Amino acid sequence: MSTTTIAAEVRAYIVDQFLAGEDVSDLTGDYDLLDSGVIDSLGLVKMLGHLTSVYRIPVDDIDFGPDDFRTIDSIVAMIADHRPAAAA
Amino acid sequence: MPSSLLAATVAAHGENRPHRIALHFNDQAVTYGRLNELTGSLRAHLARLNLPAGSTVCVPAYKNPQTIALLLAVFHEGHIALAPSPDLGSAALERLAHQARVSHLLTAADDGALTALPVRAEESEAEGFAVPNAERTRLLLTTSGSTGTPKIVPIETAGFDAFADWAVDEFALTSDETALSYAPLNFDLALLDVWTFLRLGSSVVLVEQQRATDAAHLAALVSRHDVTFVQGVPMMYRLLLEGGGTFAAVRHAIFTGDRMPDDLLRRVPPAFPRAAFHNVFGCTETNDSFIHRVDPTAVDGPMPIGRPIRGTDALVVDGEGARLDAAGTGELLVSTPFQTSGYLRQDLNDAVFTHLDGRVFYRTGDIVTRTAEGLYFLEGRADWHVKVRGVRTNLQEVENVIAAHPDVAEAVVVPLPDPQVGVRLHAHVTQRPGTDLTSLRLRTHLGRQLPRHAIPASVYLTAAPLPRTSTGKPDRNLIKQNLIKGSDA
Repeated sequence: MSTTTIAAEVRAYIVDQFLAGEDVSDLTGDYDLLDSGVIDSLGLVKMLGHLTSVYRIPVDDIDFGPDDFRTIDSIVAMIADHRPAAAA
Repeated sequence: MPSSLLAATVAAHGENRPHRIALHFNDQAVTYGRLNELTGSLRAHLARLNLPAGSTVCVPAYKNPQTIALLLAVFHEGHIALAPSPDLGSAALERLAHQARVSHLLTAADDGALTALPVRAEESEAEGFAVPNAERTRLLLTTSGSTGTPKIVPIETAGFDAFADWAVDEFALTSDETALSYAPLNFDLALLDVWTFLRLGSSVVLVEQQRATDAAHLAALVSRHDVTFVQGVPMMYRLLLEGGGTFAAVRHAIFTGDRMPDDLLRRVPPAFPRAAFHNVFGCTETNDSFIHRVDPTAVDGPMPIGRPIRGTDALVVDGEGARLDAAGTGELLVSTPFQTSGYLRQDLNDAVFTHLDGRVFYRTGDIVTRTAEGLYFLEGRADWHVKVRGVRTNLQEVENVIAAHPDVAEAVVVPLPDPQVGVRLHAHVTQRPGTDLTSLRLRTHLGRQLPRHAIPASVYLTAAPLPRTSTGKPDRNLIKQNLIKGSDA
């Protein structure tokens, strides 16, 4: 899966889970999802579950910080860094 | 409270029982000895700032051992800590700091290093705000602050001491306890689940904010550390049950912040086989004022908030302000031994603090019913407040922040029932003609002005005017009902 494909999937997931029915034409890769309340603490838990099931990210072994979830770009970068090699 | 006495008591534990664990945080166990070292190192850094005695500093309330040590250091040094939510928007944080005449913004690194950013004084913004008095208070909390500017509430030193004494007596607490601290450190709940237990020399398990909704993690913390005392909103209990297990060491379980739903209440006892259950009611201004011993196996109808706790006076007044002497429904006024002497912002005080019978009563804004037996039930709010995840949030204030965006014509915010979190906020916004506002841009604006819990979970943006009632007011009920039925308004 290319980074572009991952970015599109992550964006689609965020829109579906957190912004259903809203105009997301300006949801860019650098939009701050945390300060704007799009992803709250429950949202982070959902996101983690999604990363585990779709990208097999070993979430228990990684020391995440909130900044890893701040933007679509940072989420995509984190996925790229932590995907198991075999699945790449 | 949070006082030099508290700080001295915690330091004495460090001398007398240095190996006793004060704080569990992630995989660290911080002993009272280590807490002393951290506090001492921060005191030394703080002393180098050469602040005049009784200065006010801002310590964003990150929930970790170094922030607790920093607060202790501030109390020791005779200064006053304004401890706002670390999630507060930058504009709101700056306003608060100016209002409290904060000299520095302080944060502590986990190795005990201090970062101190000087804050430029803005006398114009501090106008009308009292200067906090270090003889009477060492800690300034804020109300939940659904607006950009939460209200600053000085916690009285003597009030905290009386509160900790009450809690120790009421729950027969000893230094052998281990308390779970679930709420954020800037909440008044921390006066009990962090500061009272540290004063006692007990252990406190700090639930890290980022993992507070992780059910498995939370349940593992309570089991692994043999927690004896838990206090939290209904969601915490829902998560603990979901996380699974039996919490056999828990002696006291406190429900607070919100009404405990019946279905949840019925499922709680098997998980806490040895616990006594209590509903505790209070607010930042007065600290706890009511307590009710709950028997979850005999739930019959709505749970009362109970009776005034020892030393507290409660009055119920009707719509005309007349005191009800017998059973009846009206606004609740309380006077507790723990309450603040008033908001720093002086012009707010006359409306909510009232002198009656030689005591100062706080108008809670809560509507209660008192039965002939003297039992109190909470009916709702007299104003625009709802609880979002246990945090009192003023809908009208959120609406005002939305309406302050230049592209917004008008806005309504309604609370919607949510199976997971109880209540979530929805905003229905009419934008001005010819503007190209999007909900994401509006969220960015809100993020700068509001704490995160007050940012609506969903935003509906339209060019159409708001639906109105026959009297011309925005029809909040219609908007709410349409959403609950699932057809977006």
